[in-house]
Amino acid sequence: MPRAIRGVLIECEPAIKSIIVHLDSVNNDIIIEDLDEQHLVVKENMVHSLKQKLEERLRETYRPEEPLADSD
Amino acid sequence: MPPKRKAMPAGGSVISKAGRTSAMSTPGPATPRSLDSPMVSDVDEDLIDEDVTEAQKEHEELLNKESEEFVNSWAIGSSRFQKPAKQDYRDSASHFFGKRDFSWLQLKPDHKDCPLWIDPEKGTIVLERFNEHASKATDFLTAIAEPKSRPQYLHEYALTTHSLYAAVSIGLQPWDIISTLDRFLKTPLPDSVRDFITSCTKSYGKVKLVLKNNKYFVESVDAELLQTLLRDEVIGKLRIHGSDEITTSYAPTMGGLVIPGTQNAAGVHQAGLRQGDKKAGEQGEATKETELLATLNEEEDDEEDKEAVHAFEIPDSAVETVQKRCLDLQYPILEEYDFRNDDVNANLDIDLKPNTLIRPYQEQSLSKMFGNGRAKSGIIVLPCGAGKTLVGITAACTIKKGVIVLCTSSMSVVQWRQEFLKWSNINPDDVAIFTAESKNKFTGNTGIIVTTYSMVTNNRERSHDSKKMMDFLKGREWGLMLLDEVHVVPADVFRRVISSIKSHSKLGLTATLLREDDKISHLNFLIGPKLYEANWMELSQQGHIAKVQCAEVWCPMPTEFYDEYLRATSRMKRTLYAMNPRKFQACQYLINYHEARGDKIIVFSDELYSLKQYALKLGKVYIYGSTGQAERMQVLENFQHNPQVNTLFLSKIGDTSLDLPEATCLIQISSHFGSRRQEAQRLGRILRAKRRNDEGFNAFFYSLVSKDTQEMYYSSKRQAFLVDQGYAFKVITQLANIEKTPDLAFATAQERRELLQRTLVDNEKGTEEDVENDDLFGKISSRGRKKGTRRTAGTLGELSGAGDMAYMEQKKAANRTLKKNIKAGQSLFFKKIGREKEKALKKA
Repeated sequence: MPRAIRGVLIECEPAIKSIIVHLDSVNNDIIIEDLDEQHLVVKENMVHSLKQKLEERLRETYRPEEPLADSD
Repeated sequence: MPPKRKAMPAGGSVISKAGRTSAMSTPGPATPRSLDSPMVSDVDEDLIDEDVTEAQKEHEELLNKESEEFVNSWAIGSSRFQKPAKQDYRDSASHFFGKRDFSWLQLKPDHKDCPLWIDPEKGTIVLERFNEHASKATDFLTAIAEPKSRPQYLHEYALTTHSLYAAVSIGLQPWDIISTLDRFLKTPLPDSVRDFITSCTKSYGKVKLVLKNNKYFVESVDAELLQTLLRDEVIGKLRIHGSDEITTSYAPTMGGLVIPGTQNAAGVHQAGLRQGDKKAGEQGEATKETELLATLNEEEDDEEDKEAVHAFEIPDSAVETVQKRCLDLQYPILEEYDFRNDDVNANLDIDLKPNTLIRPYQEQSLSKMFGNGRAKSGIIVLPCGAGKTLVGITAACTIKKGVIVLCTSSMSVVQWRQEFLKWSNINPDDVAIFTAESKNKFTGNTGIIVTTYSMVTNNRERSHDSKKMMDFLKGREWGLMLLDEVHVVPADVFRRVISSIKSHSKLGLTATLLREDDKISHLNFLIGPKLYEANWMELSQQGHIAKVQCAEVWCPMPTEFYDEYLRATSRMKRTLYAMNPRKFQACQYLINYHEARGDKIIVFSDELYSLKQYALKLGKVYIYGSTGQAERMQVLENFQHNPQVNTLFLSKIGDTSLDLPEATCLIQISSHFGSRRQEAQRLGRILRAKRRNDEGFNAFFYSLVSKDTQEMYYSSKRQAFLVDQGYAFKVITQLANIEKTPDLAFATAQERRELLQRTLVDNEKGTEEDVENDDLFGKISSRGRKKGTRRTAGTLGELSGAGDMAYMEQKKAANRTLKKNIKAGQSLFFKKIGREKEKALKKA
């Protein structure tokens, strides 16, 4: 019997895609299909939390976590 | 290893005393500097010294804390001035502003003609540059407030205690300040600001500590006040008896003082009539009629409102106590040096050369220093390449007493000496150098000593020579202490400098009065207030420094790089965003473009690995920390004169003290986190471009940034200072026709992947040591302790390298064969003689 998962197609910049892939690599519970450089299909129920995580991540990127750690 | 010798407690107490003195003498610049987060400190560029005893450190910390509290108590935001807002005015938009809702300040009916807004809590004044009355307001504001930010349309100034004091010292009265400010404001002057101005101007500068004839006097215009002080139980006792109760003299005026190289600085500003070098005292000779008249007028004025000054003498030892006590009484003491009436310290024969002309802004900065005919201590801020050295030299020529110059590296020591010889008529023997290599003294009874901060603050055991030299420095009184690049000196180091060397006045010079660790305000009140800060934009419009186009180029990270970036450690992240192939391409493109235009290009990279990779790939010359001295010189020479060499790659050793007027374009591929100072210093490399006065000339400053990385954040931080100075950064997201560049590097995915692999592998094996401490011309200081010597028992033989060797004969038979051969090889003639001898023996 065929199984279907509701998914959402995401189109984004390659960099954002990289971040999503990186987030997915922890539990493998976000991405259904990795289409190409700018397209992904992700699980519909994960979209909300993904958005949150992504935002958090981007904030980190712009504001480094450990600025003093190795500024010698 | 024997324990290191440290400064003994006795020395410590001396230090503490002087430290305290300075901490209290010139209180609070109260420049509220709020950075949103305590960002990257750039301590590594500073002079750190490690040889401080624990006790001393603790003590210094205590002083720091104390001074900080003190600084804050003088800020306008402190509760002394702020009363709870009376009007509770709320409307539908109020909640957007939270506590910072000032809508209760009613607009004046003619507010359109008024260019100023004010923040009643922070004392920040916003100036509308586009207003028709803006230029008048600007003149007024520069006199009473400190410039904070000066972009094109809106300028921001801050009212601080020091700026207000400076205003008072040039003759503005509190009510003048208040009424003028009120006139320019769009709203009525808030009470908190009014109180702030009155209280600052009232208590500030009323009491002065003056070094006259090497005696300390407490001086005031207000005899009442002095009586109050004398009645005080602490101060009263300290007065030197036998001297008159209170002596009265006349207040000094700018009158006879002329800053050399300027127009008559006594207030006669005649546009166009440059007299060049007029020396003090000669003022009367070369004068035009108008000037004479002006001087006469002034004298009349003087007689009318000559203020009587009252003073009493205190012993040297009590200076600190008195200062502290006055502070408690809310009358902070100010230090000024009446150098014209100082006949104890010998005069130095120094003047600017007659052909030396100083620029208007240099003159302005100096007139702030010598505002009332006495030398005030403070800091002058001028952009790189705008002639800070000349300002320092002119100050020395005005004071004409012994001068001590402190700089950051031994190279700049030499430069300072040369500049002195170049601009002034001083006898070369009178300018001495005190560095690790050379320790001269001047021949006369006074002169100039040029040295480095590290030489003076060094607590380690000194060589005999330098110890003698230090004693010499400590044993004298100096008229002026010039502090070059003053922003690099942390407060505690500076405390140690002033504790060991006695000088009447101090002048700090810098281009970038900022530190990421916010310690600048400490410095600010250790030395003195910021006397003058030049407007970069104005200078570049007048052609004193080059016009610069700034641009930030955004380079996207290729996916494979970005994937790796997300996983990498922070160290590797830095390498990765510097090695971004798109950045590489952008760099290549810009180099090609500007070389074709005939520009000379400097490329800066903090990351040594990428510096080498870029330079090797593009076939350009590069200099970094471990490049040998001879090679450096050769490369620089070629860059300057060889038309074939148009691009030079530099690591951060080239950030400062590099003078390459040929360079007209600057590309930055990696940098030191969010250091605003580095950005400004690097920009300074192209500000003195030789061709700056050509028609339509522009220098270019590119900052290459990898998109979606931390670099974006750092980059925006770094630009803050330059943006405050009025520079605008254009953002370039796409370089036109970049893909058409011939031999574009890393054009294919294959090449990019190889680059990534190579970068990862190369950087994995132990992070390369890329700490560089020196500047372009040699070591700043031998930072870090030298490795101690190790003693072991051993034989002389070991030392000569023979430790593990034993004598062994390899071919024993060789000697015998040799002997045989010798015998066999004897000529017939000798054999015959031999035989005859034998026969003769037998017969006998």
